[in-house]
Amino acid sequence: MSELKQHIASAFDRDLEGIQAQIMKMGGLVEAAIMQSAKSLETRDEELAELVRRNDAAIDALEESLNEEAARVIALRAPTASDLRIVLSVMRMSANLERMGDLSKNIAKRTGVLVQMQAIGGTAPSLRRMAREVELMLKDALDAYIQRDEALAEDVIERDRDVDQMYNTLFREFLTFMLEDPRNITACMHLHFIAKNIERMGDHVTSIAEQVVFLTTGRKPDEPREKADRTSTDADLAPDMDKDGD
Amino acid sequence: MYDAPHTERDVDQQDIKISARKVQVYYGTTHAIKDVDCDIEDKTVTAFIGPSGCGKSTFLRCLNRMNDTIDVCRVEGDISIDGEDIYDKRVDPVQLRAKVGMVFQKPNPFPKSIYDNIAYGPRIHGLAKSKADLDEIVEKSLRRGAIWDEVKDRLDAPGTGLSGGQQQRLCIARAIATEPEVLLMDEPCSALDPIATSQVEELIDELRQDYSVVIVTHSMQQAARVSQKTAFFHLGNLVEFGDTGKIFTNPVDSRTESYITGRIG
Repeated sequence: MSELKQHIASAFDRDLEGIQAQIMKMGGLVEAAIMQSAKSLETRDEELAELVRRNDAAIDALEESLNEEAARVIALRAPTASDLRIVLSVMRMSANLERMGDLSKNIAKRTGVLVQMQAIGGTAPSLRRMAREVELMLKDALDAYIQRDEALAEDVIERDRDVDQMYNTLFREFLTFMLEDPRNITACMHLHFIAKNIERMGDHVTSIAEQVVFLTTGRKPDEPREKADRTSTDADLAPDMDKDGD
Repeated sequence: MYDAPHTERDVDQQDIKISARKVQVYYGTTHAIKDVDCDIEDKTVTAFIGPSGCGKSTFLRCLNRMNDTIDVCRVEGDISIDGEDIYDKRVDPVQLRAKVGMVFQKPNPFPKSIYDNIAYGPRIHGLAKSKADLDEIVEKSLRRGAIWDEVKDRLDAPGTGLSGGQQQRLCIARAIATEPEVLLMDEPCSALDPIATSQVEELIDELRQDYSVVIVTHSMQQAARVSQKTAFFHLGNLVEFGDTGKIFTNPVDSRTESYITGRIG
């Protein structure tokens, strides 16, 4: 799509710039929440976890204000074509970001419980790496949004596979730890929820990247992707439980 | 149980009513319409949009040879209705205009009674055999013009005494009294208030069941509301022509996008 000129009504441009600035601010807060929650888990930092929990209110407030602004632009400016897609994509993206904020907050809550227990192998650093990957994907998705870069957005969508695979690997590890020692079960259940939360965040980032494709082209990304998270469908992903019986 | 269309705009493809090929219009040396190809469907509302001077009204007026009345105006190319060339020498423009009715920007009722405004066309075209026939045509036209209930008790009152919105619906009723097949509307609502505009738009949507309606409008929201097909004209070119839903959500041409989103084109 060629670069569009400014609107004749400059206040319309200011409205659209305003909601896009807000979504970027929201994205920045969510990036921080993801990293801080994973870091608090790895470093067993209760204060940092508490900070993540408190900061979620700011993300929620931004979502609410964005939705109000978007509704106002629709009512007053009757946006069409790419303008309409900006407003629609911002509304959807704010919902994704808000959920990501909630998931980070949930990780921080579980960190508060996990610091009371013994660490489980090297899973916390693995979770942090996974969170780091999701955070980078989010950063790229937001960059793709601002630069209207469809190729970068497609790349982000592709990278969600890696996150799904990291989740599969962790899922197996947790099962192994639980089988080894039932006393690990409580911690592993919490850690598994954390892994699942990060995996879900990857899906939300994918959805944001899809909005970028929609915004730039007016279409949804071409093909439905095959899910790489197969833990819910494949029984043989679990460690071989009959091994001893062979 | 059948699946309803997502929006009412998902209309079925209709037969081609008007076919225009390589249409050029010159006003003296000015090239006002450049090489326009356009197929207008039957039982469909087609909107022509574009900035002032883009040629949309000129092109509309080609469809019932209203440009014949302008001395310096020259029309080239082919325009056919139901496959018949309307610029053929054997075609009588007056008969053509009975078949292709027109409604103008400003309501222009004749300085006659409401009854005579409607009866005028059927009378000169000999469509009524008796007074009873004529009465029936007048009532039917006023009903289809969605103004019958407002004027039925005062058919002898002058048409010019009605409100602007009523006058415009009277003019639409007058245009459909000769049983046209195509109705051309050149900014029919620009002199009307929002309520009268809504009434006329509702009427246009009802007329779609029987006619091919072509409307020129400066209000893009109106084009979006009433039409199934939209054509965007710019500097005498037909830039983009397609389903209204597509034109207003994801136009192909950047000039269309600039125009409908209110950017400097």
